[in-house]
Order: sequence, then structure tokens, then C-alpha cells
Amino acid sequence: MTAHAVIGKSIARVDGRDKVTGQTRYTGDLRLPGMLWAKPVLSQHARAQITGIDTAAARAIPGVVDVVTAADVLAVAPNAREQMLLAIDRVNFYGQPVAVVLGETEAAAEEGAAAVAVAYEELPAAVETLAAMDTNAPTVKEAPEADDETAGMHATVEGGAEQPKRELPANVSNSVRFERGDVAAGFAAADHIVERTYRTMRVHQSYIEPQSAVAAVDPFGNLQIWSSTQAMFYVRSATARALGRPETEVKATGMPVGGGFGAKFMRLEPLTAALALKTGRPVRLVLDRTDDYLSTTPAPESIIELKTGVTNDGLITAIQARVIMDGGANGGSPMSVACLLLGGYYRTDNLLVEGYEVLTNKPNPGAYRAPGAPQGTFAIESNVAEMAAAVGQDPIEFRLKNCAVEGDPLPNGQPWPSIGLKECLEQLRDHPAYREWRSDGRGEGVGVAIGGWLMGVEPSAATCRLNADGTLTVLLGAQDISGTYTGFTQLAAEAFGMPLDRIKVIAGDSDAAPYAGGAGGSKITYTVGPSVIQAAQDARRQVIEIAADMLEAAAEDLEIADGEVRVKGAPDQKRTIAEIAQSGMRFGGKYKPVTGMGQTATVERAPGFAAHLVRVRVDPETGQTALTGYIAAQDVGFAINPEEVIGQIRGGVAQGIGWAILEGMVYDEEGRLQNPSLLDYALPNAENVPPVETVLVEKPAQWGPFGAKGVGEPPVIPGAAAIANAISAAVGTRVTELPITPERLITAMRNGAGGNGAVR
Amino acid sequence: MATHPITLTVNGSQRQGQVEPRRLLVHYLRDELGLTGTHIGCETSQCGACTVILNGQAVKSCTVFAVQADGGQVMTIEGLAQDGQLHPIQEGFWEEHGLQCGFCTPGMILSTYDLLLKNPDPSEQEIRHALHGNLCRCTGYQHIVKSVQYAANKMKGAPAVAD
Repeated sequence: MTAHAVIGKSIARVDGRDKVTGQTRYTGDLRLPGMLWAKPVLSQHARAQITGIDTAAARAIPGVVDVVTAADVLAVAPNAREQMLLAIDRVNFYGQPVAVVLGETEAAAEEGAAAVAVAYEELPAAVETLAAMDTNAPTVKEAPEADDETAGMHATVEGGAEQPKRELPANVSNSVRFERGDVAAGFAAADHIVERTYRTMRVHQSYIEPQSAVAAVDPFGNLQIWSSTQAMFYVRSATARALGRPETEVKATGMPVGGGFGAKFMRLEPLTAALALKTGRPVRLVLDRTDDYLSTTPAPESIIELKTGVTNDGLITAIQARVIMDGGANGGSPMSVACLLLGGYYRTDNLLVEGYEVLTNKPNPGAYRAPGAPQGTFAIESNVAEMAAAVGQDPIEFRLKNCAVEGDPLPNGQPWPSIGLKECLEQLRDHPAYREWRSDGRGEGVGVAIGGWLMGVEPSAATCRLNADGTLTVLLGAQDISGTYTGFTQLAAEAFGMPLDRIKVIAGDSDAAPYAGGAGGSKITYTVGPSVIQAAQDARRQVIEIAADMLEAAAEDLEIADGEVRVKGAPDQKRTIAEIAQSGMRFGGKYKPVTGMGQTATVERAPGFAAHLVRVRVDPETGQTALTGYIAAQDVGFAINPEEVIGQIRGGVAQGIGWAILEGMVYDEEGRLQNPSLLDYALPNAENVPPVETVLVEKPAQWGPFGAKGVGEPPVIPGAAAIANAISAAVGTRVTELPITPERLITAMRNGAGGNGAVR
Repeated sequence: MATHPITLTVNGSQRQGQVEPRRLLVHYLRDELGLTGTHIGCETSQCGACTVILNGQAVKSCTVFAVQADGGQVMTIEGLAQDGQLHPIQEGFWEEHGLQCGFCTPGMILSTYDLLLKNPDPSEQEIRHALHGNLCRCTGYQHIVKSVQYAANKMKGAPAVAD
């Protein structure tokens, strides 16, 4: 292995000092002269006609400046109709924004919002996912159309025939079908068949910083937006489109993101911009926690019917699944991602996976870290555990025997590229804990599961400028949500041959920055990293060229060290990098300013896999599950900054624990969210997340920077399945519904596990 | 609404203000004193992002009225570093990768300050218990635990924890 100067080392984060001293400015910290505070008024019904909005009482409150409804928004932004920034005549989910009160103070805006009286005429609502599939269910959208999946930004899905529309119920907004071989023949050849129905609840990203945006407008209508976004170019384009304005009139600035996890591509920006246009004043819209839970875009609930067949010698003969995801009022679920992964992890000649998205009167789902993957993986990895048990094989050996390798087809027929799935499983198999940890069926249980992510790709560019003091500024259009700028600092330093403290990576705004896609799909390091390397190398090449001219030496005779360019073997013949920079930054200078550029458009994806080994202790009296051991192996390609990579993995594991045993959004029959606060929605905390041992597998990606792969999404994927498998081993009862709360587990233990399927 | 005069010492400086009785301490700190390092994550005292030290105790400033702090001593995250020198706890969170998005970090650090004041040599269990009212969605907590151990060791004058 080549020795590297600064990559592969766990340097502290470049944004760390500001964050530990309270100096990082998040969107909600901005204060602009004349700024108004906005507070939304949310729908109190899942489906209703708005028959009147009485704003008089709100307007009478001192400090209330304006009460804005859809009609006002449409007056300044005609295109906003399709975006539904505020409900137009009808509400389609409980929590949908109906109006916004603008105040001189936050308190005035809040008081005003409480005083707005909205009159509704209630309409029958479709709330529960399966019930909404019934042909007699209330129709959520009069003419449902297949929406682009939000997840499309995270992992591009191709292929799969669409189901014939006419045969589908009105609320089915999207459907796919993947088929190969003959599943009937596959099941006929099986010695055992595992057939189960899995359910998962809505799970919210629950970033600690709520959704937030600030917008300002000049007298000519030019908008400036500052927001907690993972994707400022998307904010610019989508806001311009929503408001019917040219992109040149919208400038977006991505502020530090206080946790996004997929939910912060764009949410409040077009509305906040419309409010600024309406009032001519800067507007700050920051959701409180309850409004955030009620009105934003969580991961959807799913129902997955899964049937798998296996021979006595442990070969999977068929996989058949029906995946149903809740699309909320407007669709956007990652249903087809769930289908692809569920049917793609293992080899089988016979496969039939059908997916349906169903509209309901609830908020649209959105991307949440590896959208669709935890749900699909929970299903297939539970079935795989049962198949291994049915044929009496070790669960890891069973997986090793059946798992996909490079060249095996995904359900859409595309072959897997090089993947590190086997290597991750082998790491767990060979770990001492795998021999030591034992299930006893009396409360102690061990579980295994795998998970993988296809990864997103998107073109990117980077530029860098050599400064007069010899430092290098790298300018990017990608948001840093996970420590990527720390890694980029390392990459630039390595590529140029400069100490870390001479590199500064900065985020430009949408007017100035080179293009990069949104920080989602675990793609920023993988796709922007190579551009950073190229840009730094380009700058280095220019420095050498200038020095060669100055020193009258051949470029190949020069070396860069200690902030200087020297002639090899003649250390007196040198110029400092600062001198070289200055030579292109002065009146009458004869050299061009050193400006590096890098561009990439990699379309080759480098999927990332993880395998988790979990030990639990279940109290059979209370159904309470405690995690007593956790080992996460993950193929990261190459760890540019190992501790930061490990931090990503542990953070993902913690969220997987949330999926498994804690988190779920509860709706009543009327479609009202019952737990819209952190009082009632349980997040993992320092006591219920155990220490997690990480095992980094480094199977290099051909196009990743120094072989690196994306690391953000894979670690959240296997957790729920691994924990469910461990619980099943601990108590002898398989729970097929997430989260596995004490109540759910005790109920399952009392009823036995036969109610939702069978092993035969 | 009637306002009340309050006087309190914030990060060593005396501050005087007129506040409505409903004014929360967190809003007073952020909106009137400009100390935006104290964050708001939930309004129900679950997340701990708004934690500050009031009269030597960690409190969640979203559930304390500004008038309750009248006459008191408040330390926010901005007051922890002295003379440009990071406090060992800040150093620990930075060095040991105890932060990612940073939104929970000021509250985590001040809850740690409270813990180490009372218990300079906490066990891992004690650290986890002391921080269970501060939610972090990014790190999985383990690097945070290490950050606290780093600080505890440094404050005792011992070398920082080895990996």
C-alpha cells in the first residue's frame, strides 16, 4: 500500500472549533434588518374543504404584520399552484400548511397563528395504507400521476415494467414489477417455504435542528435564500420554478445543516421566498418541533408480503414479494428501491417482485437515509434468518452461500458491480464474538443481517485558488453534512503536497460555486472528491510551470516541499509557493493567477455493503429489549478519515436501533398524528445505544477518491433486521412489525408468531 | 404585555433587560443578547440543545423563564473558552470526533460541564446516564463518551485516553 501524507488519518474536523464554541451560525440564528418572523397555521383535518379563513382576530394582535393564504401566494407566484406551498381550497393531510402569520416578533407570529380561524367542511379521508388500496376508498388525488421518486436523488433506479394502470385502484400512484424465471417452479423445487407479511411504521428523520429558511428580496424582485439545505442548487432551481422566476433572480446559500438525513433537500424555501415577495421584507421561517413532525416528509410506512423458497442444502429457489408503500397525499416514496434491494441481495433463478405506492391523506414521504432500504431489508433478512434456521445452517454461512457477487443481476437485470458484501460477512464470521455470543431462547439472543446501498452519482466540479500567502482555497457547491469538507481538506492537501493547515475548503453560494449535486445518496465524497483532487493537482501543475520559468529549470526537475518549489539536488534554487502565487496577483504580473479546476461525471456506481452482528437481552416479563453487543462491518472502499467514517457508521447504527425498537409515527383513524413531539416520539439516547465495534473493510472503488466509497447510508440498513433476528433468537418468537416495542413483543409472545405467515 | 426588569450575569458580564414574564431564557439569550450558540431543538426539554449553566447547574433554557434567572449567573457555550483557550471539554469534543452536525454540541458540552463538576471521574455508565437528556442524531454517542473521558482525564491532569 502506498504511504500517504495526510489521507487515511483521523484528523479532527475542520468545522470543529466553531461548533464547540457556539460560533457556527445556523439558519435560525440569522437576523436581518426588518426581518419578519413566520409561523404557519396547519390543517386540523386529514381531508377537508376550506370554507373560510378568518384572519381579523390575528391581524388585530399587536405586532402581527400580515396573514398570508394561498391566494396571496398565487398573486406573487403564479406557478405555486402545483407546488401547493399553502393549501388551495382543500387540505389533503393533517398538518398541511394553510396560512402563515408574519410578525415583528416570534411571539406575535405565534399568537397570531393561534388566532387564525379556519372553517373546514370535513371530507372522508383515506388514512390507512391498505384500506386506501380498496377500490371504495376515498380518492386522494382526482387524477394520480406517477411522481418522480424523491429517492431518485439518492439512488437512481432504472428498469422494471410499470403495471397496467387500468387494473389498479385509484389511489395507486406508482407501481413496478420485476420478474425473471418462474417463481411457481422455484417454490415447487423448494424443501421449505417461508412466507411472512412485514410492516413498518412511518419514521421521521428527526434532525435536531428543525427545518429552517430565511429569505430576503430587493426592490427589483431578486431573491436571496439562506436555508438548512443539503442541496442549494436544487433550492435555487426548484424555488425559481415554483415562483415562476428566472434562476438568475434566485440566489441560494446553503447554511450549516443541523442534521438532514435526506429530509433537507428543499422544504420551506419557496414558501419563505413567496412570503418575502409578498411583504417586501426578509422573512424567517423556522418550524417548531411539533410543526416539523406534522408537516414534513418522513420515511413511509410499508407492508411487505414476502415468500421465499429454499432447498435442504440451503439454496434459495425463489423470491416473491409484494411491496406496498404509503405515498401520502402526493407520492414520492422509495418503493422501487425497496424492491430492488429486497430482490437483489441474494442469487435466485426465480424472482417476482411487485411494488405499489398508495396515496393516503397524510404528509408525503421523503428521503430518509437509504430511502426504502431499511424496510425492504427488514423483510428479506428476516426471511433469510428463518430459511437458514429451517435448513439448520449457520446464518452467516447460509448468506455467504447465497449472496450476490459482482455480475449477479439486480431485479431490474442490471449486474452488481464489484461489491464487498462477502468480505463484510467473512469479517463477522471470523470475529471472536461470533463464537462467544450465544442465543439461549430465554432472553439472550444473537442476530445477523446484511444491507447494501446502490449509491447515487452526479457530475461535479471544484475550483481552487492559490492565495498570496501560499494557502489554497477550494471552492465547492456541495454541502458538508457529514464531515466531507474535512475529507476534502485531506484530499486537497495530499494531491497538492501541502500541509492541512494551508488548505481551506469553502462552500460557495449558488451564484458563485462550481456545480455539485445535493448531499444525498452517499455520493459527495465519491463524486466530488475526485474533482477536488483534480483541482488541487491542476493548481500544483501551474505552480510547477511558473516555478520552472522563474528558475529556468525543467518542470520534471522540480519538487514541492516545505512550502517551496525547489530544483531537485540544488536546494538553493527555489521559490516559495507564496512568491509564486503573488507573481500572478499583482499589477503588471507576467504569470496567470494559479487557479485549479476539476470536473467529474462518473456514472459507475460503487455500492456499499454492511453486515451487522447484534446481541440483545430481552426481559421476557416486560418485553423490554436491551442491546448488549453490536459489531458493524462495512465496506468503505478506503477510509480517508477513519474516525469520521466510524462516526458515520455508529450514527447510522443508532438510527437503525431507532427503526428497530423505538421509533414510529402514530396516526389515529382520522389521520391525526398522535406523537408530534420528542415527548412522545422516542429517539435513541446515550443509554439505549450500546458501544458499537466497527470493522472497516476496504475494497477499493475504481472511481472513488483513493478508492473511497460512500459511507453514510449503508450503516442504517441492516440494523432493524439484525435486531429483529436477535430478538427472535432470544425469545423464540418472530416479530414482523417495526418497531419492536415491549408491547408489540409481549403481544407476539402471547399470540405466537403464526398470525402473519408461516414456515413450512 | 407588562415587562419586568431583570439583571443577570452572563458569561461574566452583567446584563440588564426588560422582559415579558412569558419570555423564555433561551429566547432572551438568543434574541436579546445575540448568544445564538444556545440552540432550540424541541421546546419540550427533551433534546437538550438549549442547555446552559444557571447558578452552577445545567438547565434546559427552553423551560426556564428569563425572570427566573433574575439575579443569577448564566454561562452559555460562548463563555466556556477563556482567553481564546478552549476548555478541556471543548477540546475533547473536537479531538475525539464528538460532534458531527454540531447542533446538539453546545448543550452536550454544558451537560458534560455539569457532570464533571459533580463527578470528576465518571464511569462510562455515569457519562451515558448524565447525557441521556441530550439527544444527538448523528454520532451514535460513542465518540461523545470518549470526548467526555478525554476532558475528565485532562481536567485531572492525567494524559488523554488512549484508543
